[in-house]
Amino acid sequence: MQPRRDGNGLTGSRGALFEMPAAISAEEDLADVNRVLAGEVQAFEGIVRRWQGPLVNMAWRYCRDRGRAEEMAQEAFLRAWRGLASWRRESSFSTWLFALAANVFRSELQRFPAVNVPLEDVAEPAGPATQHEGLADKQCHDAVRRAVLALPTRYREPVVLYYFHEMDVATAARTMGLPEGTVKARLSRGRELLRKRFPHLNEQSTPLSSIPRPKKEVLQ
Amino acid sequence: MKPNVKPETDRDADELTGRILAAEEELIPSSGFLAATMERVRDEAAIPKPIPFPWLRALPGIVLAVAVLGWYGFELARVVLANAREISSTQLHLTAAAGRALEPAGWVAVAFAASMLSWLFARRLAGRSGLL
Repeated sequence: MQPRRDGNGLTGSRGALFEMPAAISAEEDLADVNRVLAGEVQAFEGIVRRWQGPLVNMAWRYCRDRGRAEEMAQEAFLRAWRGLASWRRESSFSTWLFALAANVFRSELQRFPAVNVPLEDVAEPAGPATQHEGLADKQCHDAVRRAVLALPTRYREPVVLYYFHEMDVATAARTMGLPEGTVKARLSRGRELLRKRFPHLNEQSTPLSSIPRPKKEVLQ
Repeated sequence: MKPNVKPETDRDADELTGRILAAEEELIPSSGFLAATMERVRDEAAIPKPIPFPWLRALPGIVLAVAVLGWYGFELARVVLANAREISSTQLHLTAAAGRALEPAGWVAVAFAASMLSWLFARRLAGRSGLL
């Protein structure tokens, strides 16, 4: 299932890429994995087709560079191809794939770090009074996202994965291979750092009510 | 104990940050992504699998080498102990006897090291050639 595409290559709605019945995907994944393991290389195309969106988006959140995100996602698929036989079917295919991808992205970014500015250098956006409101909001949101990228790695990854996995701590923890408690603690510390960096975010940005509410409540 | 309650402003800030990050737009992979990925996968699949080390064939040789080395070690210890008992009163003789007994051991060690180096070198060459 392909999401709709708008002019700039972005979909309009969060989660559109993941709106696939999980059971069907799991069955298809299993069937494709079995076919690949039986020697049918072409069957891997189904896996790439289904998971290219999530993996490219996950990589994008790690580096904020479209070209690099695709390269990293491709590398993750290649590693998945090589290690398909090592998927012990105790966990779902998606859990295994995301964990493998997170490892690939982490090590790729260790080898060649993404060009990001230190957290304290991320400019705090100007207030909406000085600019067009929509533009100010966009700048503000961009600044927050850049600030996430500038967080220290141990706090950045939980924040990235928590929101990527639609605020599911358990899934984020499984992807990182860490206990949930550790992820919660790092998430909390990451938020604290962001809060310190943007102390006036509440006053400057769009009112809360105008930003779509996520499916789940934000972890407190 | 201090209760773990955040001030209202912190909660609002967290919620706002959360909503900003959760409401992020999705990136669509470029149209050539699937084809490029599959091309790399096919290239990878076309590479012949590395030839595994023939452990089964090598096993008799390994067993023989271990047995010979074990036997030699045993003999060496026996000779040294026998010599030590015979001439324990004379330190000079003991040293000479031990030296005589250890002389071939040195050559064995050299031969063993040379074999190891040659094996490592061969593995390195095979690794570079893609056989391993």
